[in-house]
Amino acid sequence: MAGGLPHPVLLVDEAAKGVGLYKLNEVFHAQVIDSNVIYAWFAMVLLIILGMLATRKLAMVPSGLQNFFEVVVGGLESFVVENIGEKGRKVFPFLCALFLFIITGNLIGLVPGLDSPTNNVNTNAAMALTVFAYYNFWGIRMWGAGYIKHFMGPFWWLVPLMLPIEIISHLARPLSLTLRLFGNVRGEEIVLVLLFALAPVVGTFPMYFLFSLADCIQAFVFFMLAMIYLKGSLEHAH
Amino acid sequence: MLGKLIKDKAVRESIASASVVGLNLVSATFVGLLIGWWLDRWLGTSPWLLLTFLILGIAAGFKNMVLEVRKIQKADAEEHQEHGQDDAKP
Repeated sequence: MAGGLPHPVLLVDEAAKGVGLYKLNEVFHAQVIDSNVIYAWFAMVLLIILGMLATRKLAMVPSGLQNFFEVVVGGLESFVVENIGEKGRKVFPFLCALFLFIITGNLIGLVPGLDSPTNNVNTNAAMALTVFAYYNFWGIRMWGAGYIKHFMGPFWWLVPLMLPIEIISHLARPLSLTLRLFGNVRGEEIVLVLLFALAPVVGTFPMYFLFSLADCIQAFVFFMLAMIYLKGSLEHAH
Repeated sequence: MLGKLIKDKAVRESIASASVVGLNLVSATFVGLLIGWWLDRWLGTSPWLLLTFLILGIAAGFKNMVLEVRKIQKADAEEHQEHGQDDAKP
Protein backbone atom coordinates (compact mmCIF):
# COMPACT_ATOMS: atom_id res chain seq x y z
CA MET A 1 0.00 0.00 0.00
CA ALA A 2 1.49 3.27 -1.03
CA GLY A 3 -0.10 6.12 0.85
CA GLY A 4 -3.19 4.09 1.66
CA LEU A 5 -3.96 3.75 -2.03
CA PRO A 6 -4.27 0.37 -3.68
CA HIS A 7 -1.01 -0.83 -5.13
CA PRO A 8 -1.19 -3.14 -8.15
CA VAL A 9 1.23 -5.93 -7.24
CA LEU A 10 3.86 -6.02 -4.53
CA LEU A 11 6.34 -8.75 -5.40
CA VAL A 12 8.04 -9.21 -2.04
CA ASP A 13 4.69 -9.23 -0.22
CA GLU A 14 3.49 -11.96 -2.54
CA ALA A 15 6.68 -13.94 -2.01
CA ALA A 16 6.37 -13.56 1.77
CA LYS A 17 2.77 -14.76 1.57
CA GLY A 18 4.02 -17.73 -0.42
CA VAL A 19 6.40 -18.86 2.33
CA GLY A 20 3.79 -18.21 5.05
CA LEU A 21 5.36 -15.15 6.67
CA TYR A 22 2.46 -12.92 5.79
CA LYS A 23 -0.67 -14.76 6.89
CA LEU A 24 -3.26 -13.02 9.03
CA ASN A 25 -3.04 -13.47 12.75
CA GLU A 26 -6.22 -15.21 13.92
CA VAL A 27 -6.43 -13.42 17.27
CA PHE A 28 -5.76 -9.82 16.27
CA HIS A 29 -6.84 -10.00 12.64
CA ALA A 30 -3.64 -8.26 11.67
CA GLN A 31 -0.62 -9.27 9.66
CA VAL A 32 1.96 -11.33 11.51
CA ILE A 33 4.78 -9.28 10.03
CA ASP A 34 4.12 -5.84 8.64
CA SER A 35 5.14 -5.15 5.08
CA ASN A 36 7.54 -2.37 6.11
CA VAL A 37 9.49 -4.95 8.14
CA ILE A 38 9.52 -7.33 5.21
CA TYR A 39 10.86 -4.59 2.95
CA ALA A 40 13.45 -3.59 5.55
CA TRP A 41 14.63 -7.23 5.48
CA PHE A 42 14.63 -7.07 1.71
CA ALA A 43 16.84 -3.96 1.76
CA MET A 44 19.14 -5.68 4.26
CA VAL A 45 19.43 -8.80 2.09
CA LEU A 46 20.14 -6.63 -0.94
CA LEU A 47 22.90 -4.75 0.90
CA ILE A 48 24.43 -7.96 2.30
CA ILE A 49 24.50 -9.58 -1.14
CA LEU A 50 26.03 -6.45 -2.72
CA GLY A 51 28.62 -6.26 0.05
CA MET A 52 29.53 -9.92 -0.37
CA LEU A 53 29.84 -9.52 -4.14
CA ALA A 54 31.98 -6.40 -3.70
CA THR A 55 34.41 -7.97 -1.23
CA ARG A 56 34.65 -11.43 -2.79
CA LYS A 57 37.62 -10.61 -5.00
CA LEU A 58 39.45 -7.74 -3.34
CA ALA A 59 42.11 -6.20 -5.54
CA MET A 60 44.64 -3.43 -5.04
CA VAL A 61 43.36 -1.76 -8.17
CA PRO A 62 39.60 -1.87 -7.66
CA SER A 63 37.16 -2.40 -10.47
CA GLY A 64 33.42 -2.78 -10.86
CA LEU A 65 31.42 -3.12 -7.67
CA GLN A 66 34.44 -2.80 -5.39
CA ASN A 67 35.32 0.48 -7.05
CA PHE A 68 31.78 1.77 -6.60
CA PHE A 69 31.68 0.92 -2.92
CA GLU A 70 35.14 2.37 -2.33
CA VAL A 71 34.03 5.66 -3.86
CA VAL A 72 30.81 5.80 -1.82
CA VAL A 73 32.27 4.69 1.52
CA GLY A 74 35.49 6.67 1.03
CA GLY A 75 33.59 9.82 0.13
CA LEU A 76 31.35 9.49 3.18
CA GLU A 77 34.31 8.81 5.45
CA SER A 78 36.21 11.87 4.27
CA PHE A 79 33.04 13.94 4.74
CA VAL A 80 32.62 12.67 8.32
CA VAL A 81 36.29 13.17 9.22
CA GLU A 82 36.23 16.66 7.69
CA ASN A 83 33.28 17.59 9.93
CA ILE A 84 33.89 15.75 13.20
CA GLY A 85 37.65 15.30 13.10
CA GLU A 86 39.65 12.14 13.75
CA LYS A 87 37.16 11.02 16.43
CA GLY A 88 34.68 10.63 13.61
CA ARG A 89 36.36 7.43 12.45
CA LYS A 90 35.01 5.65 15.55
CA VAL A 91 31.39 6.49 14.77
CA PHE A 92 31.71 6.26 10.99
CA PRO A 93 30.53 2.60 10.65
CA PHE A 94 27.20 3.48 12.27
CA LEU A 95 26.66 6.54 10.08
CA CYS A 96 27.65 4.73 6.90
CA ALA A 97 25.32 1.80 7.63
CA LEU A 98 22.52 4.28 8.30
CA PHE A 99 23.10 6.10 5.01
CA LEU A 100 23.34 2.95 2.91
CA PHE A 101 20.23 1.42 4.48
CA ILE A 102 18.13 4.57 4.05
CA ILE A 103 19.21 5.20 0.47
CA THR A 104 18.51 1.57 -0.46
CA GLY A 105 15.18 1.67 1.32
CA ASN A 106 14.19 4.92 -0.41
CA LEU A 107 15.26 3.84 -3.86
CA ILE A 108 13.66 0.38 -3.91
CA GLY A 109 10.35 2.18 -3.48
CA LEU A 110 10.78 3.50 -7.03
CA VAL A 111 11.13 0.01 -8.51
CA PRO A 112 7.75 -1.20 -9.77
CA GLY A 113 6.47 -4.02 -7.59
CA LEU A 114 8.52 -3.01 -4.58
CA ASP A 115 7.77 -0.67 -1.70
CA SER A 116 9.92 1.53 0.57
CA PRO A 117 10.46 0.41 4.15
CA THR A 118 11.02 4.11 4.96
CA ASN A 119 7.48 5.15 3.95
CA ASN A 120 6.30 3.90 7.33
CA VAL A 121 6.61 5.89 10.56
CA ASN A 122 7.71 2.80 12.49
CA THR A 123 10.91 2.16 10.52
CA ASN A 124 11.90 5.82 10.66
CA ALA A 125 11.09 6.17 14.35
CA ALA A 126 13.22 3.09 15.08
CA MET A 127 16.17 4.62 13.22
CA ALA A 128 15.72 8.07 14.77
CA LEU A 129 15.52 6.63 18.29
CA THR A 130 18.64 4.59 17.60
CA VAL A 131 20.45 7.77 16.57
CA PHE A 132 19.18 9.51 19.72
CA ALA A 133 20.34 6.68 22.00
CA TYR A 134 23.65 6.37 20.17
CA TYR A 135 24.73 10.00 20.37
CA ASN A 136 23.74 10.23 24.02
CA PHE A 137 25.66 7.02 24.69
CA TRP A 138 28.75 8.56 23.10
CA GLY A 139 28.27 11.77 25.05
CA ILE A 140 28.10 9.91 28.36
CA ARG A 141 31.00 7.68 27.37
CA MET A 142 33.18 10.66 26.43
CA TRP A 143 32.31 13.06 29.25
CA GLY A 144 30.76 10.94 32.02
CA ALA A 145 28.66 13.04 34.37
CA GLY A 146 30.09 16.17 32.76
CA TYR A 147 27.87 15.46 29.76
CA ILE A 148 25.19 17.50 31.51
CA LYS A 149 27.26 20.61 30.73
CA HIS A 150 26.11 20.15 27.12
CA PHE A 151 22.60 21.00 28.29
CA MET A 152 23.42 24.02 30.42
CA GLY A 153 24.03 26.83 27.98
CA PRO A 154 26.78 29.45 28.06
CA PHE A 155 26.19 31.21 31.44
CA TRP A 156 25.60 29.74 34.88
CA TRP A 157 22.72 32.14 35.65
CA LEU A 158 20.86 30.95 32.57
CA VAL A 159 20.89 27.30 33.67
CA PRO A 160 17.29 27.14 35.03
CA LEU A 161 16.05 28.49 31.71
CA MET A 162 18.44 26.68 29.38
CA LEU A 163 18.16 23.21 30.91
CA PRO A 164 14.49 22.61 29.98
CA ILE A 165 14.97 24.35 26.62
CA GLU A 166 17.93 22.14 25.75
CA ILE A 167 16.17 18.98 26.93
CA ILE A 168 13.13 19.85 24.80
CA SER A 169 15.25 20.58 21.76
CA HIS A 170 17.14 17.30 22.20
CA LEU A 171 13.89 15.36 22.52
CA ALA A 172 12.56 17.12 19.42
CA ARG A 173 15.43 15.73 17.33
CA PRO A 174 14.15 12.14 16.90
CA LEU A 175 10.65 13.49 16.18
CA SER A 176 11.81 15.78 13.41
CA LEU A 177 14.12 13.11 11.95
CA THR A 178 11.23 10.65 11.82
CA LEU A 179 8.70 13.02 10.33
CA ARG A 180 11.03 14.47 7.70
CA LEU A 181 11.99 11.13 6.20
CA PHE A 182 8.48 9.69 6.51
CA GLY A 183 6.80 12.73 5.00
CA ASN A 184 9.12 12.94 2.04
CA VAL A 185 9.10 9.27 1.09
CA ARG A 186 5.38 8.73 1.69
CA GLY A 187 4.55 11.94 -0.16
CA GLU A 188 6.55 10.82 -3.15
CA GLU A 189 4.72 7.53 -3.28
CA ILE A 190 1.31 9.20 -3.08
CA VAL A 191 2.26 11.57 -5.90
CA LEU A 192 3.50 8.66 -8.01
CA VAL A 193 0.33 6.62 -7.48
CA LEU A 194 -1.92 9.60 -8.26
CA LEU A 195 0.03 10.54 -11.37
CA PHE A 196 -0.04 6.94 -12.50
CA ALA A 197 -3.80 6.98 -12.19
CA LEU A 198 -3.99 10.18 -14.25
CA ALA A 199 -1.54 9.36 -17.03
CA PRO A 200 0.18 5.97 -16.79
CA VAL A 201 3.95 5.98 -17.54
CA VAL A 202 3.89 9.34 -19.36
CA GLY A 203 3.00 11.17 -16.17
CA THR A 204 5.21 9.20 -13.80
CA PHE A 205 8.36 8.82 -15.88
CA PRO A 206 9.70 12.41 -15.49
CA MET A 207 8.91 12.32 -11.78
CA TYR A 208 11.25 9.36 -11.35
CA PHE A 209 14.29 11.58 -11.95
CA LEU A 210 13.12 14.17 -9.45
CA PHE A 211 12.18 11.57 -6.86
CA SER A 212 15.36 9.53 -7.16
CA LEU A 213 17.25 12.77 -6.51
CA ALA A 214 14.96 13.67 -3.59
CA ASP A 215 15.43 10.17 -2.13
CA CYS A 216 19.20 10.59 -2.21
CA ILE A 217 18.92 14.03 -0.60
CA GLN A 218 16.67 12.72 2.17
CA ALA A 219 19.09 9.87 2.93
CA PHE A 220 21.90 12.42 2.97
CA VAL A 221 19.95 14.74 5.29
CA PHE A 222 19.30 11.95 7.78
CA PHE A 223 22.98 10.95 7.66
CA MET A 224 24.15 14.56 7.98
CA LEU A 225 21.89 15.31 10.94
CA ALA A 226 22.99 12.14 12.73
CA MET A 227 26.56 13.27 12.12
CA ILE A 228 25.89 16.79 13.48
CA TYR A 229 24.26 15.36 16.61
CA LEU A 230 27.20 13.01 17.17
CA LYS A 231 29.57 15.93 16.65
CA GLY A 232 27.70 17.91 19.28
CA SER A 233 28.03 15.13 21.85
CA LEU A 234 31.65 14.31 20.98
CA GLU A 235 33.07 17.81 21.17
CA HIS A 236 33.53 19.83 24.33
CA ALA A 237 30.59 21.81 25.68
CA HIS A 238 31.05 25.53 25.22
CA MET B 1 18.83 23.59 -11.61
CA LEU B 2 18.76 19.79 -11.43
CA GLY B 3 22.19 19.47 -12.98
CA LYS B 4 23.58 22.03 -10.55
CA LEU B 5 22.02 20.04 -7.73
CA ILE B 6 23.85 16.89 -8.79
CA LYS B 7 27.21 18.51 -9.49
CA ASP B 8 27.58 21.16 -6.83
CA LYS B 9 28.25 19.80 -3.36
CA ALA B 10 27.71 23.18 -1.66
CA VAL B 11 24.23 23.54 -3.20
CA ARG B 12 23.28 20.06 -2.00
CA GLU B 13 24.49 20.75 1.53
CA SER B 14 22.72 24.09 1.78
CA ILE B 15 19.47 22.49 0.58
CA ALA B 16 19.94 19.78 3.18
CA SER B 17 20.46 22.27 5.98
CA ALA B 18 17.67 24.56 4.79
CA SER B 19 15.16 21.68 4.80
CA VAL B 20 16.00 21.12 8.46
CA VAL B 21 14.99 24.57 9.70
CA GLY B 22 11.21 24.50 9.42
CA LEU B 23 10.49 21.11 10.93
CA ASN B 24 12.79 21.71 13.91
CA LEU B 25 10.65 24.67 14.97
CA VAL B 26 7.43 22.65 14.79
CA SER B 27 8.75 19.50 16.44
CA ALA B 28 10.28 21.36 19.40
CA THR B 29 6.96 23.12 19.98
CA PHE B 30 5.12 19.80 19.91
CA VAL B 31 7.56 18.11 22.27
CA GLY B 32 7.19 21.01 24.72
CA LEU B 33 3.42 20.75 24.49
CA LEU B 34 3.47 16.98 25.03
CA ILE B 35 5.78 17.20 28.05
CA GLY B 36 3.58 19.90 29.58
CA TRP B 37 0.38 17.95 28.96
CA TRP B 38 1.86 14.80 30.43
CA LEU B 39 3.23 16.58 33.51
CA ASP B 40 -0.13 18.31 34.03
CA ARG B 41 -1.98 15.01 33.93
CA TRP B 42 0.56 13.46 36.31
CA LEU B 43 0.71 16.30 38.85
CA GLY B 44 -2.82 17.67 38.39
CA THR B 45 -1.71 21.26 37.91
CA SER B 46 -3.69 21.94 34.76
CA PRO B 47 -3.15 24.19 32.84
CA TRP B 48 0.00 25.90 34.20
CA LEU B 49 2.72 23.39 33.32
CA LEU B 50 1.23 22.95 29.86
CA LEU B 51 1.49 26.67 29.17
CA THR B 52 5.01 26.91 30.66
CA PHE B 53 6.33 24.02 28.64
CA LEU B 54 4.59 25.18 25.48
CA ILE B 55 6.39 28.52 25.78
CA LEU B 56 9.66 26.73 26.56
CA GLY B 57 9.12 24.52 23.50
CA ILE B 58 8.52 27.52 21.26
CA ALA B 59 11.66 29.13 22.69
CA ALA B 60 13.64 25.95 22.01
CA GLY B 61 12.33 25.84 18.45
CA PHE B 62 13.31 29.44 17.82
CA LYS B 63 16.73 28.87 19.37
CA ASN B 64 17.30 25.90 17.06
CA MET B 65 16.15 27.90 14.06
CA VAL B 66 18.39 30.87 14.83
CA LEU B 67 21.43 28.62 15.32
CA GLU B 68 20.69 26.75 12.08
CA VAL B 69 20.24 29.92 10.01
CA ARG B 70 23.40 31.41 11.51
CA LYS B 71 25.31 28.31 10.41
CA ILE B 72 23.94 28.59 6.86
CA GLN B 73 24.86 32.27 6.74
CA LYS B 74 28.38 31.51 7.94
CA ALA B 75 28.82 28.84 5.27
CA ASP B 76 27.49 31.28 2.65
CA ALA B 77 29.91 34.01 3.73
CA GLU B 78 32.84 31.58 3.58
CA GLU B 79 31.84 30.47 0.11
CA HIS B 80 31.58 34.05 -1.11
CA GLN B 81 35.01 34.80 0.30
CA GLU B 82 36.51 31.81 -1.51
CA HIS B 83 34.89 32.84 -4.79
CA GLY B 84 36.12 36.40 -4.30
CA GLN B 85 39.67 35.13 -3.89
CA ASP B 86 39.31 32.97 -6.98
CA ASP B 87 38.23 36.00 -8.98
CA ALA B 88 41.16 38.05 -7.68
CA LYS B 89 43.81 35.70 -9.08
CA PRO B 90 42.87 34.30 -12.44
